[in-house]
Amino acid sequence: MKPHPPTSRTNAALVSFFVLLITVTASAQQKVSRHFPAGKNVRLELKNLTGTITVETWQRDEIKITALMESPAVHFNPRQTDAGLVIDIVSDNRGRENVGDVNFKIQVPVRSSVDLETRQGQITVSNIQGELVRAHVWTSGDITLSGVNAARVFASNTTGNIFFDGEFASGGTYEFKSGQGTITLRLPADCGFHLVATAPVKRISMGQFWHEGMKLMGEGRRVIGDVGDGRASVTVTNYQGQINFFRR
Amino acid sequence: MNCESYQNLLSDFIDGSLTPQDCKKIEAHLVACGDCAEARNDLSAIVDFCREHRGEYDPLPNEQAMWLRITNILETEARVPSRANIPAGAGWWFRLMNRSWQLSFPKLAASVAGIILVVSLVTVVGMKQFGFSGSGFQSAGLTISSNASMKDRIRQQQQLIDYWNQRVELNKMRWNAQMRETFDRNMSVIDAAMNDSLRHLNENPHDGVSEDILNAAMNDKVELLKEFSEL
Repeated sequence: MKPHPPTSRTNAALVSFFVLLITVTASAQQKVSRHFPAGKNVRLELKNLTGTITVETWQRDEIKITALMESPAVHFNPRQTDAGLVIDIVSDNRGRENVGDVNFKIQVPVRSSVDLETRQGQITVSNIQGELVRAHVWTSGDITLSGVNAARVFASNTTGNIFFDGEFASGGTYEFKSGQGTITLRLPADCGFHLVATAPVKRISMGQFWHEGMKLMGEGRRVIGDVGDGRASVTVTNYQGQINFFRR
Repeated sequence: MNCESYQNLLSDFIDGSLTPQDCKKIEAHLVACGDCAEARNDLSAIVDFCREHRGEYDPLPNEQAMWLRITNILETEARVPSRANIPAGAGWWFRLMNRSWQLSFPKLAASVAGIILVVSLVTVVGMKQFGFSGSGFQSAGLTISSNASMKDRIRQQQQLIDYWNQRVELNKMRWNAQMRETFDRNMSVIDAAMNDSLRHLNENPHDGVSEDILNAAMNDKVELLKEFSEL
């Protein structure tokens, strides 16, 4: 039998190594997927330890949770309530040390309310048109809220950018707060809100929403004023970053 | 069995964890005894309310610490000597402090009126003595109280921060390196905002924007420490 040349043997070893590597990586991750029946105005509460949270909408009256769990995997016990679904990874894993990240992908009905928290990791919410959207990252992680049309929106992190692209409902409350990062709000031209924007570094760019009726306070560290009918209440605070408004 | 024994079994009866014989005994007693039936109704209402509202209330941030504080307070109170037991050779101050004061309403009202009169007189005399004009005195007083209240708030918040910081430091050893690094980096962002605001307030004590930022940053710091103290 003709022996293999050395290059073929090397290639075979490399292929084996990569197959083994992929297998080990896959086994270190655990994917859990679950469906829950839900009404149209369901409320989803999620408290994650570390990892990303992505919430999207779909046309079905149910919630689908897909959790990709790093090893050592967290305990994961979603709880259905009268109002909706509660996932509390923090309580479910109290006392356990150094559990792995969990990356959530969640699909909910369009009219849902979502209340999301993670200690670290990005939060992305798309196309929610319910009563409440709350996204809170205790430490580092970007927050992206796009296509959001809710009566109450709260987004806050310590470090990371916050991006909001949506609409403000008349009489609604909207709060955005970051310690360090850029807060960007992209709004339709005809929106109306009362604004209190505070950035100690004096970088508040109102773009085309600026008008002479707006007041600058604290040597430009705060902008107060009404845009349009001024019926929504908007508070934006950034300790060390800038605040930008863009007209859609 | 007497009523007390039956009432001790009510909780298990409502939970359905008694034997059928015990259930029958209790049911028969509840038909005959109005007090126990009322106790059963009250307990059922409480249990139903708890079941209906399960999950609606957040747990206390640190239940264990709260119970520890309550226990400490109770123990401290228990150590205070009873005022009724005044030793025979006790001095006049000890007797005065351990005397039981019982005042009728007219006596109490007369005492309060007397105190108000004395304080008013002292205030008027003091104002004349130090020559304060009305508006100047008011504005000076407001400034002092405004600055004092801000300093008090900062001090109180700082005490809270110190308390939660100690708890976090105890737990920090168990965190992995990445978590420690993330926590420290984010805490430094909040500290920078606090220091910046304090610097502004030292330059201009009436800077409302800096005061707001300082309050917000201190609250954020307390919340972040609380959250991570449970890790």
